Amino acid sequence: MVAKNRIKEGDVLLELEDICMYFGKVCALADINLKVRKGEIHSVIGPNGAGKTVMMNIINGLYHPQNGNIYYKGQKINKLRPYQRAKLGLARTFQKVEVFGGMTVLDNIRLGRHIHLRSGIFSGSAYIGKTAREEIEHRAFIEEEIIDFLEIEHIRHKAVGMLPYGLQKRVELGRALALEPELLILDEPLAGLNLEEVEDLARFILDINKEDRWRVTCLLVEHDMGVVMDLSDHVLAINFGNTILDGKPEEVQNNPEVIKAYLGDEDLYATRA
Amino acid sequence: MSTTFLPCGDYHQTYAQEHAWWQTKFIKGKMICLFLCLFVFIPLVANDYWISICNMVGYTILGALGVQLLIGYCGQLTLGQGAFIAVGAYVSTLLVLEFPWPQFMLDWGIAYPVSVLVAGIAAGIWSVFFGLPSARVKGFYLILTTMAAQFITVDFLLTQYVSQIGGRGQAFSLPAGTIKLGPWVIDSDLKVYYLMIMLVIVFCVVISNLMRSRVGRAWVAIRDNDISAEVMGINVVKYKLLAFFVAGFIAGITGAFWISNLAAISPEHFPWFLSLSLVGVILIGGVSSIHGTIFGAIFMVVVMELLQLAVMPLADTYPKLLMDFLFIKEAAFGLAICLFLMFEPNGLAYRWWQIKNYFNLWPFSY
Repeated sequence: MVAKNRIKEGDVLLELEDICMYFGKVCALADINLKVRKGEIHSVIGPNGAGKTVMMNIINGLYHPQNGNIYYKGQKINKLRPYQRAKLGLARTFQKVEVFGGMTVLDNIRLGRHIHLRSGIFSGSAYIGKTAREEIEHRAFIEEEIIDFLEIEHIRHKAVGMLPYGLQKRVELGRALALEPELLILDEPLAGLNLEEVEDLARFILDINKEDRWRVTCLLVEHDMGVVMDLSDHVLAINFGNTILDGKPEEVQNNPEVIKAYLGDEDLYATRA
Repeated sequence: MSTTFLPCGDYHQTYAQEHAWWQTKFIKGKMICLFLCLFVFIPLVANDYWISICNMVGYTILGALGVQLLIGYCGQLTLGQGAFIAVGAYVSTLLVLEFPWPQFMLDWGIAYPVSVLVAGIAAGIWSVFFGLPSARVKGFYLILTTMAAQFITVDFLLTQYVSQIGGRGQAFSLPAGTIKLGPWVIDSDLKVYYLMIMLVIVFCVVISNLMRSRVGRAWVAIRDNDISAEVMGINVVKYKLLAFFVAGFIAGITGAFWISNLAAISPEHFPWFLSLSLVGVILIGGVSSIHGTIFGAIFMVVVMELLQLAVMPLADTYPKLLMDFLFIKEAAFGLAICLFLMFEPNGLAYRWWQIKNYFNLWPFSY
């Protein structure tokens, strides 16, 4: 695997420390602290516009916070570009599927292997020896470990842009898995799926997290409370960029602040009515 | 476009089979026929006129391959490929004419091949230089920066300064016998034809190999979605510049090859219209397909030539046609692109793919 310094189960894998992010004068995140431990599923919940996706983008390196530090395995990664973070073992899926529409399913997943492949421009253009061998090895990995696992054998040669939304989400998950990540960020993986697809995908997430083959730590952003409460080890609730609570699912579920954030203030309803 | 289906009854048992170049016996036979046709049949049958048309097709294919790589595969819109072809042609010419080669290198005919390689690298570097803005801008804005390449390189540097080297005025003449590949003096259309065929085959193979390995996939990923490409571990800027380098390299080689077909080169050989027509080639042929590049080039050159053959007999009756033919040609070019964008936006390659699949799947419909 990519990781240089291995860390044990239960150690802090990712830590956000006093993260502040402003867009102009709008404060998207204010002093967010988060500790994701290895082997857990850590969920982030909050109403729309709470800053969940901004947080994921910060972890990912797409945004750079004005203040605060990000530690990954104890290493400060504030300055790293997204592709450098990917090499450390950070993968993600997007809220709006961001697959490579013109490529086939197989090529999408192959692209996820990018950081594990070694061929360059010369060996690639000759396609003999190392490159050909490497492509076949990785093809075997992709077929056996990912396509088989996600049950997408029947569409492997189809262009992803032509597939239904549910399958695109699955391909995106497969692409992220191909990176063999240690931390997988799932940004609303269940949004817009039907019940059966939700059940399938929740099963996959659980497998990725619990099965010995993968053991991937997951950071999950989701609105489906049933799934969040069932899957997560920890839940972080945020609203308007402020932490409400970080704790066990039951604590979060029963917290009046969280309920208020989701359902709204009763007084507010009164004034509107 | 998904991958092509295998004919009924053919199936693969190993990954190596599926990664192979020629996957079925039929394809193998077909390709051997194609090579026989290219190397034996065409040179036997065609007269000098048609061989020169073939050379023009080959030149267009080589030129358009770089555009295909940038626009079709990497999604970086470019309208300045002609500039890099010009750089290649001029670097090669200047090296052959002005560089103090040791006599034995001239005798053994190494000077030209070396100059071709240097021309490729020089054009590649020049192309990277104009590709630098791609780190920041995309789409229409990038078109403007690459168009700047055309005007800065050809209209300014080459015309104003480079052409003055040696005090010959506008054009560099290439005396017969200067273009020598080893013992092989390239002095006839047929020899240019063989050189062209070899270059076209090499570059088609190189590009299609790249496209099925790590680098090419990264390019396509950048085209489809640059943000998620970066998140998946691709250094987007590096790969964009690499695409510009490879496209420039191909353009440089193209230009250096083309001087073997010319008696003299001048900046007028590389107008902005050349860059534009190369984009037209891939639009007609089909974006992001090597077949498309080839079909587009054939369509562009052969159809225009047929148009000329059709119009010329009329010139006796309408002498004005003779003078206006260039405009008719350009109008036909514009019309062809319009019609293709309206009725066959995926280009000729898509039709080819449909026909192939129809026969592969026969007697079933899917």
